[in-house]
Amino acid sequence: MADEVSRRKFLTAGIGVISGTIIAGVGGAALVSIGAPAVTNKLEGKWVPAGNPAELAPGVFNQVNVAFDAKDGWMDGKFKMLAYVKVEGENVTAFSATCSHLGCNVNIDETTGGFKCPCHTGQYDKNGKNVGGPPPKPLKKLDAKIEDGKLMINTLPKEA
Amino acid sequence: MFAKIGNLLEERFTYKRWLKEDVFEHKVPNKLNFTYCFGGITFLMFLLLVATGVIMLFYYVPTVDHAFSSVEYITFDLPAGVYVRGIHHWCANGIIVFTALHMLRVVVYGAYKNPREFHWITGVVLLGVVMGFDFTGYLLPWDQKAYWATKVGVLMPKGMPFIGEHVTAVLMGGTNIGALTLSRFFALHVAVLPLVTAVFLLGHFLMIRKTGVAKPL
Repeated sequence: MADEVSRRKFLTAGIGVISGTIIAGVGGAALVSIGAPAVTNKLEGKWVPAGNPAELAPGVFNQVNVAFDAKDGWMDGKFKMLAYVKVEGENVTAFSATCSHLGCNVNIDETTGGFKCPCHTGQYDKNGKNVGGPPPKPLKKLDAKIEDGKLMINTLPKEA
Repeated sequence: MFAKIGNLLEERFTYKRWLKEDVFEHKVPNKLNFTYCFGGITFLMFLLLVATGVIMLFYYVPTVDHAFSSVEYITFDLPAGVYVRGIHHWCANGIIVFTALHMLRVVVYGAYKNPREFHWITGVVLLGVVMGFDFTGYLLPWDQKAYWATKVGVLMPKGMPFIGEHVTAVLMGGTNIGALTLSRFFALHVAVLPLVTAVFLLGHFLMIRKTGVAKPL
């Protein structure tokens, strides 16, 4: 009798262990494959040409479209980002136009010389600092320089 | 907390009694042997195919431009992707083997006879579905093997008198293997066949629960 009970318990436990292994195996694979983008697939920064600096109005922010190629899953992706660039002699200041609130592209605010976001009226001053509305952080900076007469921008925005 | 939820469910649905009586202490004829596992193994493989298939659906794209590169991405770039695709590949092969063994057991034991004729009929439909899955799934990686195997497969019905040419045209979505073939094979593979399988599997299972399995020889 005791033997019978332990055999039943053994088989029940066996069902549990085998099902558990299969569920853990497939569930783990699902977690890893589907959840992978949590830690992978980050865009890496690279220097790309962004036009002729002589064509930009000096001393003020100019809207510059930066186009670059990067890996997009299995494709060679074409990416675009909007930047605001100010050239003062050899000095280049560049901000990413991405609002720190929810990612819209900000516009130049003619009245303040800073930036404003059309989505939720976020405001930044001319140093990119968030001064009004919902944005929690300043605009991100972009590394930029003039090389051989060409404006070069690094595509990875940095915290100001 | 789980114990509490379990108790609430038990109060309302008496699931513990159901588990005990219908799963762990389910009554079966004496001296059942391991050949009775083949159907269950086939079902387990089906479940694994569904799970790994859904995972790959997050990455696979059924267009002629991207199908091959997305499969390449799953296999070589995606973390655990080769493992997921491997399970899908081997279960797709194994399910044919175990379906055949399952049917062989049923034939040898005469288990298709009264009162289990409809189990057999739904089973034969499911055999067709399994083969449909393997045929349509074979094209999806869009490589050379997929292309030519499908070409051979869709041209076979052409031999049928009168309707053959039309059947082939419907399968291919035209007169050549291309974008239309790939998208309709994909639709069959991930939408139509799974639904048909669900309906017939449910019938298959409910009927075997009602009649019980055939006694061993």
